[in-house]
Amino acid sequence: MLGFLSIDIGTILFTLANTLILFLGIRHFLFKPVNNVLEARQAEVDKSIKAAEEAKANAEAAEQEYREKLTAAKEEAQTMLRNATRKAQQREEEIIASAKAEAAGIMKQNQAELEREKRSAERALRSEVSGLALMVAEKVVEREIKPEDHARLIDEFINSVGDAE
Amino acid sequence: MAMMAIPECLQGPEQLSVTGPKVIFSFELFGTTVNFTETVILEWIVMAIILGGCAFLTHNLKVRGVSKRQAIAEMAVEAITNLVRDTMGKRWLWFTPYIASIFCFSIFGSLISLLGFRAVTSDFSVLLTWAAMTFALITWTKLKFGGVGGYLKGFADPIPVMLPINILSEISTPTAMALRHFGNIAGGSIIMGLIYFGLTSLSHMIGMQGAWLSIGIPAVLSLYFDLFSDFMQAFIFVMLTMVFISNAGPQEDADGA
Repeated sequence: MLGFLSIDIGTILFTLANTLILFLGIRHFLFKPVNNVLEARQAEVDKSIKAAEEAKANAEAAEQEYREKLTAAKEEAQTMLRNATRKAQQREEEIIASAKAEAAGIMKQNQAELEREKRSAERALRSEVSGLALMVAEKVVEREIKPEDHARLIDEFINSVGDAE
Repeated sequence: MAMMAIPECLQGPEQLSVTGPKVIFSFELFGTTVNFTETVILEWIVMAIILGGCAFLTHNLKVRGVSKRQAIAEMAVEAITNLVRDTMGKRWLWFTPYIASIFCFSIFGSLISLLGFRAVTSDFSVLLTWAAMTFALITWTKLKFGGVGGYLKGFADPIPVMLPINILSEISTPTAMALRHFGNIAGGSIIMGLIYFGLTSLSHMIGMQGAWLSIGIPAVLSLYFDLFSDFMQAFIFVMLTMVFISNAGPQEDADGA
């Protein structure tokens, strides 16, 4: 039996050895496996976060792409609409121009015809009036009228008919 | 003859003796006598309990789907790692298993007294060994960071007259640690022995045939002298170890690297 406050070299040596063994044992049986698991979990979490960040970046890139495509499509549609409008306007102007030309042609033709008819009517009238005048003249001759009077009367008559036109 | 009806285990202690650990056998080594005491056997029992517990807690660990056992193991490891990081800094994280082993050894070595054994920590040689290990680590740290010159110069700091006081303080650090821990645990066990002895005497004095007063009353006191004191002393010992060793090195950078 040792004393209560004894310092025993044997106990010290054994305790030293035991403490070192316990240190190695705890490190091997507790800290190493648990830290390995904790590290593995941390790695897994890091991997998940990285994957999520990548997915987010991809989604953003895709969104950007779609946005650009949408803008391009809108612009194209706008251009097409403008072109179509311009073409339609051109076509309208052409149609109007040709219609005007046609109308003008028809007008001219009508006027020429009218002129011709007027002239032929004038001619017919003149010959009829001459006949009529001769008839009138014969009657006037019966009532002794000078040839000067005769000519003057005819001209006056014709002029008055021409004015009545 | 009525006394014979009570089993001997209920009689209570008849005498109180304060002794050191029993020597199981001795052998000669390099001309000195080396004792193999009951403390060493108790240390082995404690080590078996601790290492068995560790192996039980950490067998079949999983990264996902953590079992209760694994949660306890992870919590313990993280708690002690955080304690070391907060007290000593990141540089000393490799030191964590040593702190954990001293802490566990101290707690279970003290608590083994609850099973009726002599506490491992009521053997002064054990505490002296641990304090000497702390002292060795302090000295090693000073030599590592200051060199031999810096270490020797530290004794004449701030003025050479302080040399004897510095040497005293250097030696008193481990001595105080060992004596504090030993004194608390051994003192507690003596007080508990006295209480049992006193309650037995009191029981007999008031005419009881067994030590009936020893049931219940000591349990309350044991909460302090065994459980609380054991945890406190283990904690104080490892805290002092960490503080002294990390103070022996240079101060950490602000970023804790």
